[in-house]
Amino acid sequence: MTTQNNKEEFLKRIEEHKLIIYKICNSYCRNRYDRADLAQEISYQLWKSFNHFNGAVKFSTWMYRVALNVAITFYRKTRTGEAIIQLAEPDTEIEDKKTDTAELEKNISALQKFINELKELDKALMILYLEEKSYSEIAEILGITETNVATRISRIKDKLKQKFSNIK
Amino acid sequence: MEDITLKDLWKAQDEKLDRSMKLNLYLLESMQKQKAESKLNSLARFKGWAVVLGILWVAFLGLLIYGNQLQNLYFTVSVGAIMLFNIAAVIIYIKHIAIIKSLDYSQSITGTQEKLSKLQTSTFNLRFLLLQTPFYTSFFWSGEMISGMGPKFWLISVPITLLFTLLAIWLYRNLTLENMNKKWVRGLINSTPEHTSVFKAMDFLKEIEEFKKG
Repeated sequence: MTTQNNKEEFLKRIEEHKLIIYKICNSYCRNRYDRADLAQEISYQLWKSFNHFNGAVKFSTWMYRVALNVAITFYRKTRTGEAIIQLAEPDTEIEDKKTDTAELEKNISALQKFINELKELDKALMILYLEEKSYSEIAEILGITETNVATRISRIKDKLKQKFSNIK
Repeated sequence: MEDITLKDLWKAQDEKLDRSMKLNLYLLESMQKQKAESKLNSLARFKGWAVVLGILWVAFLGLLIYGNQLQNLYFTVSVGAIMLFNIAAVIIYIKHIAIIKSLDYSQSITGTQEKLSKLQTSTFNLRFLLLQTPFYTSFFWSGEMISGMGPKFWLISVPITLLFTLLAIWLYRNLTLENMNKKWVRGLINSTPEHTSVFKAMDFLKEIEEFKKG
């Protein structure tokens, strides 16, 4: 049974790492209601698994595994009809301001769009890469070899470069 | 686009992330109660009931064989075969329940997703049950019946059993994941309520395989 101390420890750690949850929710759900549901589901699964967290891996590695597993499962369940929502709803609430930051916002939006177009597993891989996780950590989280991680990242980056060059 | 720029863009989006979703972390206990009714739990419960019914059915068949005391070889062999098929099905269902109970989201992503997808396609693992159908057409045979029916037995009963045998073997060999591209296989799966999740799971299993290959 989880003690009160355990719960406090959990809440403290999640608070420190909650950006991970936000990023994953934003990457896997375009609809804000789905995002809220996914965030809740991730929190629940993290809480459920927390008793088994033994420190064998870093807390963030453990958290990425749980959060990405939940996000992929959630995404596969709710994917039907989502494409329509994706087109109708902007990625984030980026206003189309005519400022110096307009170019940056356009690029962020494009990056989010490209990441969103990736398959579930490739998306997880790229999120981890962009979060500056080492190849060995990415391999550990995903359950594939480091060589595979390197090959796939290079392939996806080439595709992204191509897509960015097309919008310029 | 350079590598550094991709990572910079990713960092820059931090400020623009949708943080409106609230993490109701203080309601974890009540969430736990609600989630006890999750899909996986209901699947485990469904399979649990199937195991109970399967065991009762096997016990009933066992009683029939015991009651017959080997008086009729056709009955004993047919019911014995049906019993073995059902024992195997019960074992597979118990394995499924063990997989559901062992699912751990903190394990590697490909490993966990593979387990989940395999669970969804597990219907195919039970297709061997089709092979028991011919025995339902032979359990009532007896020496008296064969001699009493005369040629009718060879012209009606035996062909029916043979037809069921051939059909069952053919279905068993063709109703496979590899044959999912065939129209009639998809048609059969389409007639089951869980067909959409089965198709999705199969596609995803292929994706996982490719992902692991690199």
